Amino acid sequence: MPFTLTVNGESHALEVEEDTPLLYVLRDELRLNGARYGCGVGQCGACTVLCDGVPLRSCFVPAASLGGRALTTLEGLRAPDGALHPLQRAFLDEQAGQCAYCIPGMVMAAAALLREKPRPSEAEIRTALDANLCRCGSHNRIVRAIQRAAEELAR
Amino acid sequence: MQSFEWVDAESVEHAVSLLGEGSERQPVVAKAGGMDLLDLMKNGVMAPRRVVNIKTIKGLDGVRFDAKQGLELGALVTLARLSREPEVRKRFVALADAAEHAATPQVRNAATMGGNLLQRPRCWYFRYDHFHQAGGDAVERVRSGENQYHAIFDNQRTVMVHASTPATALVAYGASVELTGPGGKTRVVPVSEFLLPPDMKRSTDTSIAPNELLTRVRIPAPAAGTKAAYHKQGERESYDWPICDVAVVLRMEGRTIRQAAIAMGWVAPTPRRAAEAEKLLVGKTLNEELARQVAKAAVNGATPLSKNAYKVPVLEAVVRRTVLAAAAA
Amino acid sequence: MQDVKDTSDPRASNKPGGEQQQQQAGGPPQPPQPNPGPSRQQALPYGIVGAGLKEVTRRVPEDEPPPLPENAKLKSIGKPVSRLDGIEKVTGKARYTFDVQLPGMLWAKWVASPHPHARIKSIDTSAAERYPGVRAIHIPERILSTAQLRDPKAEQGNRYPTVRYAGQPVAAVAADTPRAAEAAVKLIKVEYEPLPHVSQLEEAMKENAPRVFPGPTEQPATAGGGGAPPGLPQKGNVRGPDNKPRGMGPRGDVNKGLSESEVVIEAEYRTQVQTHVPMEPHGLVADWKDDGLTLYASTQFVTSVREDAAELFDLPKSKVRVISDFTGGGFGAKYGIGNYGLLAIHLSRKAGAPVRMILDRREEHVSGGNRPNSIQRLKLGAKRDGSLVALQVQAYGTGGVAGGAGVGFCHSTLYECPNVLVEQYDVFTNAGPCAAFRAPGQVQGIFALEQTIDELAERLKMDPLALRGKLDVSGTDDCLARAQERKVGAERAGWNKRRPAGSDKGPIKRGLGFAQSQWLYLVQPSTACEVRVSGDGSVEAFSSTQDIGTGTRTILAQVVAEEFGLRAEDIGSHIGDSRYPMGPASGGSRVTSSLTPAARNAAYRCARELAARLAPVFKANAENIVFADGKVMVKGKAGSAMPFREAVKKAGFEEISQRAERRDDYEGYLFKTPDMALSRHGIGGVQFAEVAVDTETGIVKVERVVAVHDCGRPINPKLTESQIYGGVIQGVSYALYEERHLDAASGQQLNANVDQYKILGSRETPRIEVILLEQLGAQSSTDARGVAEPANVATAAAVANAFYNATGKRIRTLPMTPANVLAALRG
Repeated sequence: MPFTLTVNGESHALEVEEDTPLLYVLRDELRLNGARYGCGVGQCGACTVLCDGVPLRSCFVPAASLGGRALTTLEGLRAPDGALHPLQRAFLDEQAGQCAYCIPGMVMAAAALLREKPRPSEAEIRTALDANLCRCGSHNRIVRAIQRAAEELAR
Repeated sequence: MQSFEWVDAESVEHAVSLLGEGSERQPVVAKAGGMDLLDLMKNGVMAPRRVVNIKTIKGLDGVRFDAKQGLELGALVTLARLSREPEVRKRFVALADAAEHAATPQVRNAATMGGNLLQRPRCWYFRYDHFHQAGGDAVERVRSGENQYHAIFDNQRTVMVHASTPATALVAYGASVELTGPGGKTRVVPVSEFLLPPDMKRSTDTSIAPNELLTRVRIPAPAAGTKAAYHKQGERESYDWPICDVAVVLRMEGRTIRQAAIAMGWVAPTPRRAAEAEKLLVGKTLNEELARQVAKAAVNGATPLSKNAYKVPVLEAVVRRTVLAAAAA
Repeated sequence: MQDVKDTSDPRASNKPGGEQQQQQAGGPPQPPQPNPGPSRQQALPYGIVGAGLKEVTRRVPEDEPPPLPENAKLKSIGKPVSRLDGIEKVTGKARYTFDVQLPGMLWAKWVASPHPHARIKSIDTSAAERYPGVRAIHIPERILSTAQLRDPKAEQGNRYPTVRYAGQPVAAVAADTPRAAEAAVKLIKVEYEPLPHVSQLEEAMKENAPRVFPGPTEQPATAGGGGAPPGLPQKGNVRGPDNKPRGMGPRGDVNKGLSESEVVIEAEYRTQVQTHVPMEPHGLVADWKDDGLTLYASTQFVTSVREDAAELFDLPKSKVRVISDFTGGGFGAKYGIGNYGLLAIHLSRKAGAPVRMILDRREEHVSGGNRPNSIQRLKLGAKRDGSLVALQVQAYGTGGVAGGAGVGFCHSTLYECPNVLVEQYDVFTNAGPCAAFRAPGQVQGIFALEQTIDELAERLKMDPLALRGKLDVSGTDDCLARAQERKVGAERAGWNKRRPAGSDKGPIKRGLGFAQSQWLYLVQPSTACEVRVSGDGSVEAFSSTQDIGTGTRTILAQVVAEEFGLRAEDIGSHIGDSRYPMGPASGGSRVTSSLTPAARNAAYRCARELAARLAPVFKANAENIVFADGKVMVKGKAGSAMPFREAVKKAGFEEISQRAERRDDYEGYLFKTPDMALSRHGIGGVQFAEVAVDTETGIVKVERVVAVHDCGRPINPKLTESQIYGGVIQGVSYALYEERHLDAASGQQLNANVDQYKILGSRETPRIEVILLEQLGAQSSTDARGVAEPANVATAAAVANAFYNATGKRIRTLPMTPANVLAALRG
């Protein structure tokens, strides 16, 4: 059964099996590769996108259940003129990320946090990143990048 | 994951009637946040033919407090909301804390009170479909295997522990669930009776009937002088299944404890009241020494398995600390 | 500080050729003289910048670039340049193998054995073949990554490979959609004859244990290292002893030494099986076409993928191309093509279409590799003044169906000790094969050794730092580095405020401890690099090497930029394609040490050639053409400067290109093959850890780590710091949480996921302070060395020594779960 998804402000008519997780619809149908597969069961956060501004683990939620919701992926954070989102700039400035496979998920979790808490404490940042896994050990720089972005957004 | 059909329920009646159409060969299940259901489906442990989305039902996400009736929570209230809701924070702090520390922030945004109570165990034998297919005596398999995260009490016939941590707080508060069946018929069951020792062979670890929907959770109004505390002890701070969790609810008169409820989770098949320990508190003023005795009584009678004896001293420490925290709250 | 002599290799001088040289007892054959051919004497800076940098003279190849001064005097090298590929990473555009989608690409899935040990009687793929969308099916005839029978006749009669671990691939399907592949794979009917199995180390060591292999085995090293020496005896599942870890053989007589010791310390240590868990699982997209095979691989060594494919499919290398733009973590597990790659290539050939096979998380945990566990029995004998007399180690570990469970080489190399005997054994179990994992063996060995040395210090009432000063005296570069690191680290960590063990009265006890690191300084001699300047002023560098997160593109650009007076951002840095000159593996901490001298040499030659072309433009001699600050100018003529691109265009050529190979280290090596050369120097590192132990719940928190490291000349301290964070974090995670759990009865991994296989998260990350030494070894044209593995070696030991300082009890078992901690506190 066909359904419509709104991703990064654009409407897409899709015809995939109902139980196809959102992650694969984003990657395979819409060619948005930011959201990534790390575990397939919502435990690692690499697949994090925003659903109505709230973080969602896209790897196991059926895309068909999200019709009518506003979905945002990493690609949608950039301004229409291509300018990086302050979070993306902050991650670059802090050099947060090594293999960087986890970074899209981290950025999206951070975007949701800053929307809800524009001035998070370090503890709140670390709690928000709970179960966003990074194996290369970039955690402390990621936290600093989010603090940096928060400061910039607050201005 | 097997293919399944997805239906949005329009009302409780609608959902109940759809659930009633299910059978063992063509299971129909309700999905709220879907946190547990989708995980079980991904693991191949569950393969429903039809998933009934109950998030679309109106009126199941209310939080109402009344001085006489107590707290009424719609089954679809998310854990995130539960942890922040002023009435819950103010009057049922152990529940708010339990909700706040369950799972991860992202899961808490989607997970619901009802779904949390209906979740299946986290036991790693349970969560791997290989063991469902292998057949054989599931309990013996765990008993002689990797039982680090399993029960230290009441573990003769079953060793898996119920996964819900908010349940620990609900048991301490004497909460009940409201179940709605065909024709709008409801029944109310105390949480402590609702939760059943987890069993691999059953399709649920509660006494919910296949054609019932969990619609509300009720907690009696706390008496004057109620103080409470909750602590979940994991192996690490990040998202982790607990070694144990403890909820303590005390009714105090000045500094004297008139009534005590100590509920311990993840150490028995269902949340366990430390009855002997509670008795020690009644009529007393709490001090360090009494707290120590209470904690010792709480773990008395533990029958650890081959790999989970460490839970005993950990539980003892957590009970002691939580009792002290409750009295000081 | 030791006197530094001219250290051109004394073994090499006046000797005609390597092959005639005598073999040292227990050691490998002497390598030939380094850099034969025209040479010159060259003064080079040597030592630790800021701590007694001096000058030495060494013999260097005639055309070697002039030595680089310390980093402070350089413009691009040694600067914290931002990653050149940062933008792709932060916008989601970086293409990992997981992202590769080719037209007509098929999706592959495998079916794996549910039995830990079985003979396969039959495989019926007929139903799977008929499933709509299925385009090819393949049953592998061999399984990679496991030990192999020395005498294959033992299983010659079997039609299919014997299943030796639950999760071993049995057959694979390629189909039009992932869903079709998953459904079809379930239709493959396999008839197994289950055989007795053994899952646990100590069970497998018993004489009557079920045999994992029916006879003795060999486990050659892979491109990633690991493996076990050939020809060792094997009794049942126990293979060994190997008493020459890394070729460092036994010395002296330990029994005599122990009997003459004034203090003897004996203890047993246990460490757990750790899985790699790279965030991007292993995988490969194979595109078999008539004119050649193209592979997109999530790999840490492009060359190894090409070699495996060429060998296993009998293809000339000219027909095999490997591409790897970004790899999402490797940590040692991603060498070669793996079984997933073998299957993908077979399926692609059969289907005539590209085939993608990427492991899911369970498959990665189970079959992607692991760090073996260990039981180590150490006996240390010393004199009352602290000097070591004898060190005996007996170690067993299981790498599942693969060998490689050694416990490192530190026992022979780190501390002065006349009598050393290490006997290590591989014990096979029916479990997934091990693979090299960030400093294989050494992490386990240092955990035990560094606690034992601390125990000795306590016994002798010596400061453990001072004891290291007495014992760590080999005079190698890493030894000198560690002396400085102990000093600097102790000051930063507040060592002088350290309290006696178990000082805190309440249940939460805090402590401070430290441990030392030693790792190999490896070079990949077969490394080459090409640098090109185009007529429009573009400068590019090419290497087939890959980037698993270390920032290879960036350091390559920095080194090249330095020669041309440009910024790293100005350099087109191209990696990750086997068509480019052969680059090093991202393993053994060797990329920077191997690649940067080759890159510098190529850039230097290219710059000199460019200078020759520019000489007429500037009407000057080529030797006086200088590149600096984005401009070209004539030395001494201030007004002559012209922007680089403008100058190049005026030279009027199309393209110049120079290729250079990694020269030998000026002092030579302990031994050398085309793939690997081992220096007599190592890489050091010292880490201090502050812990808080809740003695009632058994929870350990690592609050702070001070990590002081050397890596030769740091090319990019920002990148180096990342690596050190990574090593420390993996070390803390290994120390506190990680453990693979197998159900013994069924041989299944119970925590093949990321919620019950616990890795450290943001909430457990300690404060990490990194201090980086700049140590110039006078060995190559950049003197850069690695740091990835050294950063991981000492952490668990530092945490354990801190645990002792906090509680007064030793924790000899990892991980430090509440169960193990409470047991240690009781003991």
